[in-house]
This record gives sequence, structure tokens and C-alpha cells, in this order.
Amino acid sequence: MSGSFSSLNTALTALRYTSAALDVASNNIANVNTEGYTRRRVIAESIGAPSVPANWSIYDGVGGGVATNGVQRLSDDLLDARSRAEHGNQSYLDVRSTVLQRVESGIGEPGDSGVTAALGDFRAAWHDLANDPGGTATRQVVMSSAVALTDAIHAQASAIEAEQSTQRSHMNSAVSEVNAVAKQLADANRTIAASRLDGVDVSNLQDQRDKLAQRLAELTGGTATPRADGGLDVSVGGVGLVSGSTAKSLVVSSGINPDGTPDGNPLVLGISDGTTTTPVTGLTGEVGAISDLLTTTLPAYASGLDAVAKGLADTVNALHQSGYDLSGTAGGAFFSYSATGAAASLTLAITDTSKIAAAGTSGGTLDGSIADKLGASGTAESSYQQLVSGFGTEVASVKRRQTTQQLLTTQIDNARQQLSGVNLDEETVNMLSAQRAYEAAARVMTTVDSVLDTLINRTGVTR
Amino acid sequence: MSVVRVTQPMLVASSLRNLQGGLNKYADLQEQLSTGKRVNRASDSPSDATGSMRTRVAISDQNHYVRNAENGIGWLGTVDTTLSSMADSTRRARELGLQGVSTGTSSVNSREALAVEVDQIRADLISQANTTYLGRPVFGGTTAGAAAFDTTTGAYLGDSGQVMRTVADGVQVRVDMPGTSVVGPDGASLFDDLTTLSTALRAGDETSMRTALSNLQGRLNDISTAQATVGASYKRLEQASQKGQDSVVALRTTLSDLEDADLPQTLMNLKMQEVAYQAALGATSKALQPSLIDFLR
Repeated sequence: MSGSFSSLNTALTALRYTSAALDVASNNIANVNTEGYTRRRVIAESIGAPSVPANWSIYDGVGGGVATNGVQRLSDDLLDARSRAEHGNQSYLDVRSTVLQRVESGIGEPGDSGVTAALGDFRAAWHDLANDPGGTATRQVVMSSAVALTDAIHAQASAIEAEQSTQRSHMNSAVSEVNAVAKQLADANRTIAASRLDGVDVSNLQDQRDKLAQRLAELTGGTATPRADGGLDVSVGGVGLVSGSTAKSLVVSSGINPDGTPDGNPLVLGISDGTTTTPVTGLTGEVGAISDLLTTTLPAYASGLDAVAKGLADTVNALHQSGYDLSGTAGGAFFSYSATGAAASLTLAITDTSKIAAAGTSGGTLDGSIADKLGASGTAESSYQQLVSGFGTEVASVKRRQTTQQLLTTQIDNARQQLSGVNLDEETVNMLSAQRAYEAAARVMTTVDSVLDTLINRTGVTR
Repeated sequence: MSVVRVTQPMLVASSLRNLQGGLNKYADLQEQLSTGKRVNRASDSPSDATGSMRTRVAISDQNHYVRNAENGIGWLGTVDTTLSSMADSTRRARELGLQGVSTGTSSVNSREALAVEVDQIRADLISQANTTYLGRPVFGGTTAGAAAFDTTTGAYLGDSGQVMRTVADGVQVRVDMPGTSVVGPDGASLFDDLTTLSTALRAGDETSMRTALSNLQGRLNDISTAQATVGASYKRLEQASQKGQDSVVALRTTLSDLEDADLPQTLMNLKMQEVAYQAALGATSKALQPSLIDFLR
């Protein structure tokens, strides 16, 4: 048999619980648009029989009210892991597609002002020279169209070089962001572990922890593993970056100087604990995208362009050297280039219009057979077309992959949002039900009070 | 997609995403319309972009061929007119020679008059044989000099080089006429025959006159042969030029098929996209407004 005042206590637990529920609802509503916020729910538990049997204290089963058994954070570790993986892939493809599209618009093909057009003008100038091998004007046009062609090739080579330089700086800033985020995550891990020992609610810290892990995944494609103490360990490319409260650092071992200039070696990334550095590969995310661009994609296009420039210079030079100039002497090299970076160093080797070897016969005749051969389009055109179409295919495929990945990422985001997002209607309903429950509990209190009033003040009074 | 629980941020995010997607497609179509091109960069359609670049190269090649053919037609036209007037002059010299033979015993004065005219015709023929086109002697091969024949001796100054014009892939047409095949080799040339004729006229040497006359007939035959050759080449150049121009038109059509936007279709798509975008805007305004708050008092 419970005491007369136990109902008052029961009503009090209800008042406490409902005001906690109201607080949680209001907190959820307040954070409806906060990024990384996971909705909370109050866990209620009815107070029943004491679990330890005691003499003279017999539980009669009417119940003892409600207890607030903590606040639950509605998240799913599996979904979070999926989300991190998809966001890592997404940011890899986003960076790659943005950069490749920028490079592609710099190529300007097909169009009337690219290398193809300059090559066409170059060929046309040779045809005109073949028609009038003695003309100063036609010779001048050959030289100026050759300069225009080298300029067009230089422009493309320097656009690629500029993009590489941008990506090197991008790599440096991304790596320092990775290290800053890794430190913050280690700090969050330490605080979570300490707070859990103290019994403090860690929901906000967990939100922060998940946000940081997500950012690390976007930057590096790093995978996170939950720790027993509530923290998250993150490993990048299979090598641990954050472990509990200690964060190692991602470093550029070789390839890029701290000022963003290339050091001439291949790009190598590593994870350093201050004394030893473990090399890492297979990164995705922003860093992975930049690394792939810098080590594979951009150098491949640059060397393709070099091959086109070298092929053009070699074939033109071979024909030019088999001819004779206006004074009848054998022609020299028409283009010159250095073995490293043919595209960027391609220049016109002759300065005197009379040194253009248009004639196929010696003796200073006005033969135009060599000019005629040089006017025919050849391997330079087709190898350049191949290069551009190969690059176009690459860009198109990245764009397609990006779109597909976007669908997947959206789906995962939606699934996460379904579980963890705040629904205002739901919170309004929660708020209303808490309000009504509070009112009812208050009513219980009034009723008990009135019952006690009857018992204490009216019982036995006869007048 | 089976959505169990929809939240306001989800609605906001998906609305924004759909609006962005709609605007992106709208911008793509707008670019196609404003540039008039379906392929604005290689990745829009890699195979069409390659085709487009190849076609541009082919168009530029064909344009060269047409220009080369036009240039060759200029050369051959000059050669042809010159050959006609050279034939006329040679015929006139032959008439004078015949006159000299028939009036074999006529006075010294009249034979002298004939000889003087033959000398003038010779000088005239040399200057005709030195005819130039754009500063180059058309009978001088690839010589860099200004004349094909020495103006006094009539000796050949040109070389044996050939002036060729490429008028199609791998097709070359000769547009000059070697001087020696028109007037004959040095020492037995048209000019030497005329000198012989005028000397014979002055001397009244009938045998030499007859030899010179028969030689002149041979030269006339050579000139007509040359004219026939030139005519044939001229015809080839005209055909090549016409063919080149036709190819340019055909290739431009191909290029347009490859990279130009189909305007009516693109306009239609743009209109449809516009409607879709407006619908998305309308849906967004409807989906984002209501909440339970509106209905609780």
C-alpha cells in the first residue's frame, strides 16, 4: 500500500518529464536548419517496483510515475559510414569535373580560334607560298602564321601549366585543412571520452565529431571507425590519421614545395607522426582528386600536346631541310624546341623570310614543291584531334559519373535526413502532447491536493 | 523512393536541387541557342567534336585546292593567249617568206622590206615569249630571272623546272609551258629560223628561204600542240576548282549537321524546360509553405 503523498510525487515526475520533453522539442525546432544537427528524443521510463526486494516495503503495482531516462540522439552509424564514403567519392568527382571542364574550355575546340584553326592558317600560308615562291609578302605570311601557330600551342601549354600550379596550391591548402580538421576531431574525441566519464550529455559533441569526420571524408575519402569511448578513428588510404585523442598529420612528402612550386619529383603523400612518415595512396575526396589530376591527367594532356608539337616540328623541319631557300642554299630547321616541354618551347627558328626553303631544287629557282608539300595537312592535325577527342571523352565520362554519383549521394543524404532530420510538424505535435501532459499532471496535483484537503481538513469535523 | 519520414530540410534541399537542375538544363539550352551550336566543347559529344575538327581541316584543304586551281587558271590563261598571238605572228612571218619565195627575182628593195618586217616579227615574238604572269616569265620554268629568252640572241634563259599546282589530294597540274618545247631548242629555235629567213630574203637565197619556211611550219605545229596541252590542263583546273567548291559546300553541310543546333527543336526544348522550371518554382512555393503551425490557434 503506497503512502498518501505518493501520488503527488508521481505527478511531480510527470511535470519534470513533460518539461524535459518540451525542452527537447524546442531545441529540435531551434536547430531545424543547423547543419549536422541530429534530432533528439527524450526517453521516458515508467517507475515501477524497486529491483531490490526489501522488508516492510511491499510494492502494490500502482506505479511510481515516470523517469527521464536520458536524451537519445537519432543517428545510425551504418548510414553515417555510407554517407562519408559517398561524400568522399562525390567531392573527388566534383573537383575533377570542375578542373577538367575548366581545362577543356581553355582548349577551345572545336572552334575558329584554336590550334586547329591556327594549323589551317599555317597550311594555307604554305599553299600561297607554293603559288608565289618569290613573293616577299607570301613569305612573310608563312612566318607570321607560324608564329600564330606556336602562340596557339604555347597558350594551351601554359593553360595546362597554370592549372597544375593552381592545383599544387590547392593541394597545399587542402592538406593543411585536413590537418586542422584532424586536430579538431582528436580534440572532440578527447572531450567526448572525458565527458562520458563525467556523465555529461555528449550529443552536441557527437554532432560535432560526425561533422568533422564527414569533412575529413570529403577531403580525403578517409574511413571512420567508432571507438569504445565514443570517439571516431579515421584512417586515410588505410593508414591511421586520427586515433582517439591523437592526430597525425597528412604531409606532401615530395612533388610540391611549401610555396606551391614543383620540386621535380613525383607527388607522394604520407602520414607523419612527427618522426616517421608512412606513404599513402588510393585517396579519394578532394586530395585524391588533386593528386590524380597532378600525377596523371594533366601531365598526360601536357605530354600529348608536347608529342603533337614535336611531331609537327619534326615533320616540318624534315621537309624544310630537304628544300632550298631563295638564295639556293639548303634549308635549315624551321621550328626549334627543347626536348623537355616541346609545346611550351616551340619557336620559329628562322628570322629571315628569304631563308624559307620553298624550292625542291637548288640554284635559287622559284620552285614551290616543298612549300606545296608543307601545305598538305598531315599527322599533326590527326594526332591533335586524337588528343582533344580523348580529353573530351574523359571530361564527358567524369560528368556522367558525377551525375550518377550525385543521385547516390542524394539518396544517402535523404536516408540520413529521414532518420536524423527535424520535422517541424512532428515537433509541434510533440510540443502539444507535452503541453497537454503537463496540464494533466498539474491537474493530478490539484486533485490530490483536494483529496488531501478533504482528508486533513474535513474528516471528523462535524460542525 | 520510399520515404517514410519527410522533414522540412529535406523538402528545402530537394527543392533547391531540382530548381538548380532545371536552371542548369535551361542554361545549356540557352547556350546552344545563343551560340547556334550543339557541340560547344569536345565533351559535349567527343565523336562529333572529332568529326567537326576533321571536317574543318578538310574544308580548309579544299579551299586551298580551289585557290591553287584559280591561280593555275591565271597562269594557263596567260600562256594560252600568248601562244595564240605567237602563232599569228609566226604565220605572218611565214606569209612574208612565201611572198619572198614567189617574188624570188623581185627588186632588192622589196626583199629588204620583207626582211625588215621579218626582223620586227622576230623581236615581237621574243617579247611575247617573255610574257610574265605576276612578275614571272610563263615560259621560263622556275627561273628567278625576269625573262625566259635573251632579247637579242633569243637564247633560252629559263630552267627545266616545272611550275605545279596541287588541285586535289595528290593531284598536281603543270601550269607553265617550257619555252624550248614551244620555240624549239637553242640554235634551231623559232628565232633562229626567223634570222635565217631574213638573211635569206636579203640575199635572195631561195633554197634557204624554203628550208626556213618548212622549219616555221614545224614551229607552228609545235605551238598548236602546246595550245592543245594548255587547253587540256586549263579544263582540268576548271573542273578541279568546280569540284573543290562543290566539296566545300558539301563539307559545310556536314559540319553544320555535326555541330549546329537544330533551332526549332532547341527552341521547343527551351520552352519545355521553361515550363518545367516554372512548375518546379510553383511546387516549391506550395511545398515549403504549409506547416502544422498554420492550423493551430
